[in-house]
Amino acid sequence: MGNIMSVSFAPECTEAKNKYDDCFNTWYTEKFLKGKSLENECTEFWDTYITCVNSALAKQKIKPMLDKAREDQPFTSEEIRQSAGTEGK
Amino acid sequence: MVLFFENSHVYNHDFQTVSLAYFNRYPNPFAKHVLSSDTLEQSVDEDGCLRFTRLVVKTGRLPGFIKPFLGSNLDSWIIEKVVVDPKTQTLLSYTSNVDHRKFIRVEEYLKYSTVDPNSTLVEAKVKFSSNLMGFKQKIEEWSLKRFSSNMSNTREGLKFVMNRLKEKGGIWYKEVNIASQ
Repeated sequence: MGNIMSVSFAPECTEAKNKYDDCFNTWYTEKFLKGKSLENECTEFWDTYITCVNSALAKQKIKPMLDKAREDQPFTSEEIRQSAGTEGK
Repeated sequence: MVLFFENSHVYNHDFQTVSLAYFNRYPNPFAKHVLSSDTLEQSVDEDGCLRFTRLVVKTGRLPGFIKPFLGSNLDSWIIEKVVVDPKTQTLLSYTSNVDHRKFIRVEEYLKYSTVDPNSTLVEAKVKFSSNLMGFKQKIEEWSLKRFSSNMSNTREGLKFVMNRLKEKGGIWYKEVNIASQ
C-alpha cells in the first residue's frame, strides 16, 4: 500500500508533487536525519514540480502578498543555535 | 491588540516518526478544511540544517465577523517555514496567514525536540494580532476558541498520521503506483 499524500493547489502539479514528496521523504528519513547526506537528492523531481508550481502561482492574484510573506524571517541561524543550546530552560 | 497562547505536549514516538508525520500531516480526518500543501523552497543551509517553505491552502479559517471585509474569496493561504537540525534532532516551524494581515494575523511557532529515543516534545506558541478597532472582545473569544480546537485537532491529526507510519515500521514507502513507468 502506498502512503496518502496531499494535493497541490494547482491540480496539474499534483503528480509532480507526489513524486517529489516521495523522493524527499525517503531521502529525509534514510539519509538526511542519519547524517549521511546534506544534499537533497531529489533535484530532478524538484525541478519539474517547482516549474509547474511557479507557473501556476504566476496566475494567482494573491502572488504579491505571498511573495511578501515569503520574506518573513522567523528564525535566524543564531536563534537555532541558541534554541538547541538552551534545552530544558 | 496582541494575544499569546502557549502549551506543550509529548508524543510517544521518536523524532524521525514525529517529524516525518509533521511534514505529511495532510490529509488527515482532523484537517478536512485543508485543501492543498505545496513546497515553494527547499535547501540545506551552511549549518547543515534543512530549510523549506510551504504554502498551505485552507477554507474558511478567518473569523466570521471579519467576512464583510474580505470580499468573495474565503480561502486562507498560509505560509509555513520549517528548519530541521539533524545534529540536535530539533524541528522549528513557523506558520502565518498570507492575506488579510491588516485585519488579523495569526503566527504559530512550534518546536519539536527529542526527549528520549521514544518520545518527542512539542512546544507551541501562537500570537494573534489585530488592528481592527472595536472587535477586541470578539477577537479574544475567537482566538482562544480557535487556539484550543486547533491544538487538539493538530494533535489528533498528527497521531493519526504517526500511527499510519508506524504500521509501516516508521519509514516511508515509495509509492509504486504513481510512477508512469
